[in-house]
Amino acid sequence: MSSADRRRGVALLSVLLAAILGACSSGSASSPAASVPVVAAPSGSDAAASPTPSPTPAFPVTVTDDEGTSVELAAEPKKIVSLTPATTEILFALGAGDRIVATDDGSDHPEQAVALPDVATFSSVDVEKVVALSPDLVVAGGLGFTPAESITKLRDLKIPVVVIYAPSVEGVLKDIELLGTATGTSADAASITSAMRADMDAVAAAVATKSPKPRVFYDVGYDDTTGAIYAPADDSFLAEMVTMAGGDAITSGDPNTYEIPLEKLIEKDPQLIVLGTNPFYSPTPDAVAKRRGWDAFSAVRSGAIKPVNDIEITRPGPRLPMGLRTLAAAIWPDVTLPSPS
Amino acid sequence: MAAGALSRDVEAGGLGAWVRARPLVVGVVAVVLLVVTLILGVGLGSVRVAPAETIAVILSRVFGIDIGVTITPATEAIVWDLRLPRVLTAMLIGCGLAVAGTTFQGLLRNPLADPYVLGTASGAAVGAAIAVLLPIQLVVVEFGLLHGLAFVGALASAWLVFRLGGMGGAGGLTRLLLTGYAVGSVLAAVLTMAMYVSGAELRQIFSFLLGGLGGSSWVRLIVAAPLIIGSSVLIMARGRSLDGMLLGDAAAGHLGIDVSRERGILLALASMATAAAVAISGLIGFVGLVVPHVVRLLVGPAAHRVLPISAIAGAALLSAADLGARLVGDVPVGVVMALLGAPFFLFLLNRSRSGYQL
Repeated sequence: MSSADRRRGVALLSVLLAAILGACSSGSASSPAASVPVVAAPSGSDAAASPTPSPTPAFPVTVTDDEGTSVELAAEPKKIVSLTPATTEILFALGAGDRIVATDDGSDHPEQAVALPDVATFSSVDVEKVVALSPDLVVAGGLGFTPAESITKLRDLKIPVVVIYAPSVEGVLKDIELLGTATGTSADAASITSAMRADMDAVAAAVATKSPKPRVFYDVGYDDTTGAIYAPADDSFLAEMVTMAGGDAITSGDPNTYEIPLEKLIEKDPQLIVLGTNPFYSPTPDAVAKRRGWDAFSAVRSGAIKPVNDIEITRPGPRLPMGLRTLAAAIWPDVTLPSPS
Repeated sequence: MAAGALSRDVEAGGLGAWVRARPLVVGVVAVVLLVVTLILGVGLGSVRVAPAETIAVILSRVFGIDIGVTITPATEAIVWDLRLPRVLTAMLIGCGLAVAGTTFQGLLRNPLADPYVLGTASGAAVGAAIAVLLPIQLVVVEFGLLHGLAFVGALASAWLVFRLGGMGGAGGLTRLLLTGYAVGSVLAAVLTMAMYVSGAELRQIFSFLLGGLGGSSWVRLIVAAPLIIGSSVLIMARGRSLDGMLLGDAAAGHLGIDVSRERGILLALASMATAAAVAISGLIGFVGLVVPHVVRLLVGPAAHRVLPISAIAGAALLSAADLGARLVGDVPVGVVMALLGAPFFLFLLNRSRSGYQL
């Protein structure tokens, strides 16, 4: 909204983005799965993911969101407010896009989402505007993405708020199914998630046998002034993506830390730097190579610095298979990846 | 110094009647400003609500009168549950901080004293940071761990500073101030460390440090109001002691004021008002430092005038600044207040002909 807000958002972006991806899974149960390199076999996970009787689109329905809050929805939501870019994408993929009445200012995909009114910025939610729309479902981001105060306030005013936060790839698929249940589109959700699973498993399988795995550093952010380097946290969503794409992911060394000291990174010696670029962070490979002390990395000496579209890879939504494909292609350029299903 | 101000006023006279009426005029202007910000604060926001609807909501909720204007549940929620408690909370906090600031400046005889001078801010912030980092979700009638620990942290640090800094004796004030600085530094270091390890929770700590009224609600307002209003009224009742102490400890003693006892009581009351304010709105600066100075520039230094007028002016300033902050997209209220308030303060400071003293 205001430019001051925007700048603060940019300044905090790399930190927070990394933190949100950092899967410091306080309260979430399913992070150990992150150490399994490939998503579980399609047949098994399909069975696990469909315990709900699909042909009965039952409203009222009570869903349990990613913070463990039970949210009761009396009827199929007709006016939805989506407060994160990822949930906006999920809702559109589920065919509920025409029921979205407002989004946050970061919701830039698909095209129709851009035109929708914005009721939230990176750092705040305009509760007044949300209330004025009288929504029957608000989809918010967890781990502080949507300020806790705003969520409490909306719930106090009897507006159902579902908080979404995925600590892992499997968590994203679960979230899609959760939103499917909440919007009465669980059949679509099931077919989307099974297609995503098949697609990601195929990509992962294509690179699974490749060895040796290159040591991959996914560059999340860099502070030119202080030289602070931001990396995927241990067991994070992003580390899982790199592993699935056939890389040996270099992480910060702690599930709650997203900063990695230069010395540690030199010791780990990345063979490939994947440069996650987005509208807020888009240095050139040349600039990366010139960073102080970075010439010690094998990747810099061999010129293995590859910019990729960070949004597709890190946004926990329906475009993840595309992101995984991009990432796998960057790590294994010679492997022919299976075409999307 | 009260006497000095009086004689200066008389010399400046020629406009004798105006000078004597001036505190009254300033007080009335402050009340008018307060009423105007109340009306604008409830009437304006990021959503347009017609004035008739706003009036209808308030009349129906307060007096149960239906004036025949149709109001939607959304409009009612916006006016009654979002705007009104927020405006009133801003006023309450502004009042409390301005009174606490006046008190600290007077007691410590230091123009740079503000409500946070005795380490209160760092104490509250450390409490809030601990609450954010603890993996405990505890909510008692809309008050979370954050509010509770911020309140306790603010009071605990003020108490610690009193204990370590001592209350009486020669050089007592300087010692108290420096103790406040030292304790504040330790707490600030703890806070920095907490922020460093906080990871994704950083944002919550950060927004506490910026301060803001986004979390206002009726329940929070009703719980904080007795603490802040009660402390402010009790401080005002002791205005004479505060005036006496401005003359110096010895002179105050000659006037029959039990200096160390009165100082202890006033510091405790001001700390209570500050802690309650900080617990519900985070660290809001500027209002507690500058409003008392502006009021002194306008009406002279006598505490029995400065305290009530500061209370009203502080309430008006913070609610006006919060309205501004809301209208430009919920920027931090402290930013708006300092950007608009500081130039006005400088203007007053330059215009004052006589040298300005506490």
